[in-house]
Amino acid sequence: MNNHFLLMIVFSALVSVVFTFIAKNGAKERSKYFLYLFGSFVLLSILVGWLMYPFPF
Amino acid sequence: MESFPQTLEALPAEPGILKTLAACVAGALVPGLGHALLRKWDRSLVFLGSISMLFALGLYLNGRLFNPDFSDLFSTLKFIADAGNGSLYWFSWLRGLGTGDPAAYTFDFGNVFVYTAGLLNMLVVVDAFDIAQGRKQ
Repeated sequence: MNNHFLLMIVFSALVSVVFTFIAKNGAKERSKYFLYLFGSFVLLSILVGWLMYPFPF
Repeated sequence: MESFPQTLEALPAEPGILKTLAACVAGALVPGLGHALLRKWDRSLVFLGSISMLFALGLYLNGRLFNPDFSDLFSTLKFIADAGNGSLYWFSWLRGLGTGDPAAYTFDFGNVFVYTAGLLNMLVVVDAFDIAQGRKQ
């Protein structure tokens, strides 16, 4: 399991589902909030990774 | 003059201290157990599954379980984040799991998974506290 992207997807899904169940009630509201959180995690991770690409960390 | 409630319903329901304490302690020991005591079955199952999976994946990815070491700030913070997993951390640590392999490709990923599982469980305990106190449903 050395795929960074897959690990990031798994991490985002698990953390998003916990945050969703803490913050929202009701299946519909939870579904929408989960998709919003999960999408934000993935897109922002890619964006930050892309911005950090030139830096020699 | 102070006015008194005219009906029984107007009296504020006093949150049970024992129930709150039991939910918080149970949640701190086993992820989701506090919510199970409060009969929030869906949350309980989701928290148990997600946090346990994060923790198990962290160990599988060669993450390290940090020892109780209070010699410097970062060691302390790492231990606190890990120990937030409750019994998951203590059983694994006592069994000698989570020695970690800094040379492994996924060492940092494993550590982040374990830290996050512990920190999420702390948040889950706060959520159980709020539910037991009647501040949220």
